[in-house]
Amino acid sequence: MRRPVLVRRDRPVRGGQPLAFAVGLVVALLVGAVLLMAAGHEPMRVYQRMFEKSLGDSNAWSLTLNRAVPLGLAGLAVAVAGSMGLWNIGAEGQILAGAMGAAWVARIGGTWPGPMLLTGMLVGAIVGGALLALVPAVARARIGVNEIITTLMLNEIALRLLQWLIHGPWKDPASFNFPLTPMLPDQAHLPMLFGRAHYGVLIAGAVILVFGVAASRTAWGYELRIAGSSADTARYAGISLKRKILTVLLLSGGVAGLAGGVELSGTADRLTEGISNGFGYAGIIVAALALLRPSGVAVVALLFGAVQVGGQSIQIIGVPASVSTILQAFILFGAIGAGVFVRYSVRLIQMGVDASGEGEEAT
Amino acid sequence: MTRTAAVELVDIWKRFPGVVANAGAHLRIDRGTVHAVLGENGAGKSTLMNVLSGVYRPDEGEVRLDGVLHRFHTPADALAAGIGMVHQEFRLVPSFTVAENVVLGAAERILRRQEVEARVDELARRFGLATEPDRPVWQLSMGERQRVEILKALWRDARILILDEPTAVLTPNEANELGGVLRHMADDGRSVIFISHKLHEVTGFCDVATVLRGGETVAASLPVAETDAATLAGLMVGSTSLAGERPPARAPGEVRLAVSGLCAQGDRGLPAVRDINLEVRSGEIVGIAGVAGNGQRELAQVLAGLRSATDGTVDLGGKDVTTDPPRRRFGSGLCYIPEDRLGVGLAPRLSVVENAVLHSYAQHRRGPFLLEASMTAHCQDLVDRFGVRTGPLGDPVAGLSGGNLQRLLVGRELGSGPGVVVAAQPTRGLDVQGVKAIQDLLVAERDTGTAVLLISEDLDELLTLSDRLLVMHQGRILAEFDPRNSERSVIGEAMAGHLPEEGAA
Repeated sequence: MRRPVLVRRDRPVRGGQPLAFAVGLVVALLVGAVLLMAAGHEPMRVYQRMFEKSLGDSNAWSLTLNRAVPLGLAGLAVAVAGSMGLWNIGAEGQILAGAMGAAWVARIGGTWPGPMLLTGMLVGAIVGGALLALVPAVARARIGVNEIITTLMLNEIALRLLQWLIHGPWKDPASFNFPLTPMLPDQAHLPMLFGRAHYGVLIAGAVILVFGVAASRTAWGYELRIAGSSADTARYAGISLKRKILTVLLLSGGVAGLAGGVELSGTADRLTEGISNGFGYAGIIVAALALLRPSGVAVVALLFGAVQVGGQSIQIIGVPASVSTILQAFILFGAIGAGVFVRYSVRLIQMGVDASGEGEEAT
Repeated sequence: MTRTAAVELVDIWKRFPGVVANAGAHLRIDRGTVHAVLGENGAGKSTLMNVLSGVYRPDEGEVRLDGVLHRFHTPADALAAGIGMVHQEFRLVPSFTVAENVVLGAAERILRRQEVEARVDELARRFGLATEPDRPVWQLSMGERQRVEILKALWRDARILILDEPTAVLTPNEANELGGVLRHMADDGRSVIFISHKLHEVTGFCDVATVLRGGETVAASLPVAETDAATLAGLMVGSTSLAGERPPARAPGEVRLAVSGLCAQGDRGLPAVRDINLEVRSGEIVGIAGVAGNGQRELAQVLAGLRSATDGTVDLGGKDVTTDPPRRRFGSGLCYIPEDRLGVGLAPRLSVVENAVLHSYAQHRRGPFLLEASMTAHCQDLVDRFGVRTGPLGDPVAGLSGGNLQRLLVGRELGSGPGVVVAAQPTRGLDVQGVKAIQDLLVAERDTGTAVLLISEDLDELLTLSDRLLVMHQGRILAEFDPRNSERSVIGEAMAGHLPEEGAA
């Protein structure tokens, strides 16, 4: 009798990750098709509509790009922390904190000229996100508290803070007691690029590019790689782990916060609870699928943007938008499953204790 | 051989890239005995035990249990055949109770909690393993956790129990209790394999001892009652006469490294380095001998700045560096060849180039950017000068063989032109060529006037290379020898803790 076992490859298959990602996509589409059929829909029609509405023309592209912006920034935030082996699960809360930071600047600077106000809002967003990451960063760097737990828990706190602001001090006096903040001033909106795509696309692209270059080409990025690869080696080389953990987590929070600020000034009229829209959690998936590489984050974010935009578009023909959530999940499952074979190969081995001594190994 | 042995390992060979871990090792274990397996690090003990417990498959050789030939493909196969192993790192679920950990994966059906606890308790009492089955494991001391590991093996009805350096994590009292437990198990007709460096425990707890050296069995099934610690130490470090010819010594120069009254704690917060005083001069190699676990590792780490001293001073070329971090010490001319090549000296997943510039990357930059070409050139230079055989320099360093990893590491450290070298086990686990290459590099370095502190468990190496030889025992320097005219047996006695001349230190 033989049984299959996984054997680690000497080196991962070259170009394996994009391939695994493609496998994930196919798996997701197949599983999705089964589910759609079970629910009485025609998969091809649904998929066609999803494609047309997300990537079919320039208007569709502009929507997809807008979606990709917060996904990409959140994904980058997770990837920044991940490059050092840290997991920032708190991008969702940091997006909220960033949006709050930006909204606060918009409140006090309502009369400022556009460029100044926008710059102020984005800086406010970065500071907001970084502030929320400060507690986990310090706790991790100084006493080794697991950042996964602390960042996750702060999501809830950020949400409650936002709710309090909306229901309390920041409520619009003219909202007839609805929990709404005042509309943002006109000059607080990011200018449009084309269609409905706003300048946030350029901001996100630039941030991802800068981090990509910083991570791969600078001494700072090198130190980060050492620290992320082996803490003892970093200590031996005289790289301060504490400082690295602190900078990386604050940076991660700042990037997530920026996503909140861009989202607020790019697509929202006012600050609402829904501003983060699950981007922070989706960002974890984006970063994981991108293997924490900035260039990968950009590509995956774009694809997830398309899936989300497509998912919304099929509501009109009676298909629940949660189809897109299901598809995202199965892309992840499929890609992670296929990713195993990038690093491992399958071999068959003889089974059981062989007392006769005649056991032969396959390969 | 009249009786069938419980375990018989016959002519076991196991090769790894660049290393022969077992070269025809034998082991014969009788039922109802506590059998010590002794040997220095790298002697092949772990490999042999991994062969017995199904983790590795031998390249050649036979594993017989009660005379029956077995071939294990997985540890589960070995477990099914009655071989239980207690690893140095415990494999327990901290949030589970003792009873849950014991039966985890081996409960034949769904059991009631109290029933399981009662049965675990009964088993524990039978073997004198004091434990509380309903306590979660995270609340337990290391000694108690180890008892849980032993219970796990007994629950699975292991007839052969392997304990890999079981006393390393125990206090002396716990170690003595463990001795009693082992005796219980032997009296029950089981066989216990006890892997240790601590000779007094071997003579205290064990019936029989097998000594491995260089992957071979050098002494098989010695009755412990008829031997003593010094003999065993001698067997572990070998009894051949001087292996290589000594490179001619130079007259040593000024003091480069001075250590006085140095104390430090080990990983578990117990004193590991006690009141060490030593000097290393320019142009000399000072060797430190000792059985593993006597504070050599910690001493090297304190010197490198990776472990803080609790008392005493470290002086580098006349400068007090006791509180300096590693990078500043490196800047002051100290280079360190750590015992753990991968993981401390080198970052396994990073490329050869990235590892080669670990100390010097700051010199290959323009503004914030690193100069790829300059780093690669530096790396290529090291690779050429120190004869490192590599694939593409951009590949992860973990792909290199042990010898080449060490050449890269030693090359990187020596390439900086240091004044003092602290080398911890620089040749451990290397093949003959690798050993020779690294030793030659150290000697050449000494000949340029560098002060070298060589910490090794290979007495041959120390006798060949050192200009002076210090023996460490239980964190102290017990004796100093002139390697040119010292008896190995006397050095072996000192390693076992017996002072050559007068009273205790």
